Amino acid sequence: MAISTAMSTSFKKELLEAKHNFLASGGNSFKLALYTSSATLGAATTAYSATNETSGTGYSAGGAALTNINPASSGTTGFTDFDDLTFSSSTITANGALIYNDTASGDPAVCSLAFGGDKTSTSGDFTIQFPTADASNAIIRIA
Amino acid sequence: MFNVAVETSVGQVNVQTTCNRGFNSEEIALNAVDKIISISETADPAIKAQAEAFKERMYWVIVAACNQAMKSDRTTLYNLFKSNGHADMAEILRTL
Repeated sequence: MAISTAMSTSFKKELLEAKHNFLASGGNSFKLALYTSSATLGAATTAYSATNETSGTGYSAGGAALTNINPASSGTTGFTDFDDLTFSSSTITANGALIYNDTASGDPAVCSLAFGGDKTSTSGDFTIQFPTADASNAIIRIA
Repeated sequence: MFNVAVETSVGQVNVQTTCNRGFNSEEIALNAVDKIISISETADPAIKAQAEAFKERMYWVIVAACNQAMKSDRTTLYNLFKSNGHADMAEILRTL
């Protein structure tokens, strides 16, 4: 059981099928779900699953909606970003996360995110801060 | 034969949590300014110094804006609690 930071292989295929739209206006709705260390997430993950999903105060199954930022490009790299996400007044523990497309049929996976260990909030805030939206750091990049 | 190589990458997220409190203005401002301004390690020293000074200034502007937003929201909540008969709760919020 392990969580690794990886783009889903199925997502790469689905990009070529125009299954995902990251536009801020009129784009798909993407969600971020949290998982415990018992979960297995990585490049082979194809869709959202509730198995080994985090539970606790301030967290609902399926996770929370992300706010899309319009995709951009710099040099030869295209990238997209999301607003930081906070689970407020929460008491939860998570080891990683899955970003998935909540609009597309079957909740297809975009990428898995490993936190590098268990992260816990206790009657507090649990914030996922996305990296700087540029060609070197953005959360999803295509070069 | 032609082929086009495309490389896809996933960035590294940063997870921040709190215990028995929320984030304060300084913590929120630090995240915001990191997101707004990214300074290249290889930038010209003069430009880098100027960018860092601007980043520092933006940090304090955001801290002030966050503080103002929190105070303003507490005023809204104060009035909401008071108008619903929870004067004691309203007073706690007012004195925060």
